[in-house]
Amino acid sequence: MSVNLKLSPAAKVIAGREAENFLNDVNGVTAVVIATVDGFDVASAMRAGDAARVAAMASSISAISSVVSQEANLGRNKSVTIDTESGFAMVYSVHRDDAELVINVIADGSAILGQVAYRIAQFARVLAEA
Amino acid sequence: MNEYKILFTGTMGAGKTTAIGAVSETPPIVTDVVNNDQSHTKERTTVGLDFGQFTLDSGDRIRMFGTPGQSRFDFLWKILSKNALGMIILTDNSRPDPLGDLRVYLEGFADDLDIMPCAIGIGRLDDHPSPSMDDYIEELARHNRVLPVLQVDVRKKDDVILLIDTLLAQLEAGMFGE
Repeated sequence: MSVNLKLSPAAKVIAGREAENFLNDVNGVTAVVIATVDGFDVASAMRAGDAARVAAMASSISAISSVVSQEANLGRNKSVTIDTESGFAMVYSVHRDDAELVINVIADGSAILGQVAYRIAQFARVLAEA
Repeated sequence: MNEYKILFTGTMGAGKTTAIGAVSETPPIVTDVVNNDQSHTKERTTVGLDFGQFTLDSGDRIRMFGTPGQSRFDFLWKILSKNALGMIILTDNSRPDPLGDLRVYLEGFADDLDIMPCAIGIGRLDDHPSPSMDDYIEELARHNRVLPVLQVDVRKKDDVILLIDTLLAQLEAGMFGE
């Protein structure tokens, strides 16, 4: 299987660099995976785990959130947060002309939800304009 | 009135989304996105689920759920197959190894196939006669399965209904415990 990714090489470099920064800067974050909407990982930074699986799940969550927002006439989907007993996962959509992407962040219980939400939105803006 | 949940699975590009769209009475819920996988020429692919509904002459309702085809989405296969009454596996005979494709689903859904009826729909058999229906039946036998195999064009409503009827006939014949 070969992936024909239309994403510009410059954007891919920025995605990788920003993922590393995100992981290192924000307390409690354990994984940052940037994926295509059909579930292929483009760039990632993670302490443990499998970026390919995270990418596939992120694309499913994003696609389901997209259809929910359409059915409810709520405009384009932006993000989904899965809150858990010991942390949370956040999936954020990035709309670009050359590629639709999703950013997936996994964080443990020590992370602050608002801080991750702020940072992921900032990351999405940078990536949309890269 | 009974409500049946039926699962559509099978190879990427075999027509799961098309099949559900062909028979659904309500606009189907579709979660397809741009496809970046070069081994398939199709433009869009399902990454979440498809959903459609239709009513039988008896008044019974069928709720149809479609899975993504690619095995990297196998976590959804388990979620979507829960409480299904039957499963339809679609294959695409124009692919390089349709029997290999079939094996992915026979193995991925092995636990479900032990407890629910299943029908196999082969697409594009007219233009691509090999493997034949007999080859499919032999492949199923190698997995200790005896399942109905039908040639279908999932763009045609009647063909999709025939697949569903084949499942329901197995249920009515009491081949599977309630």
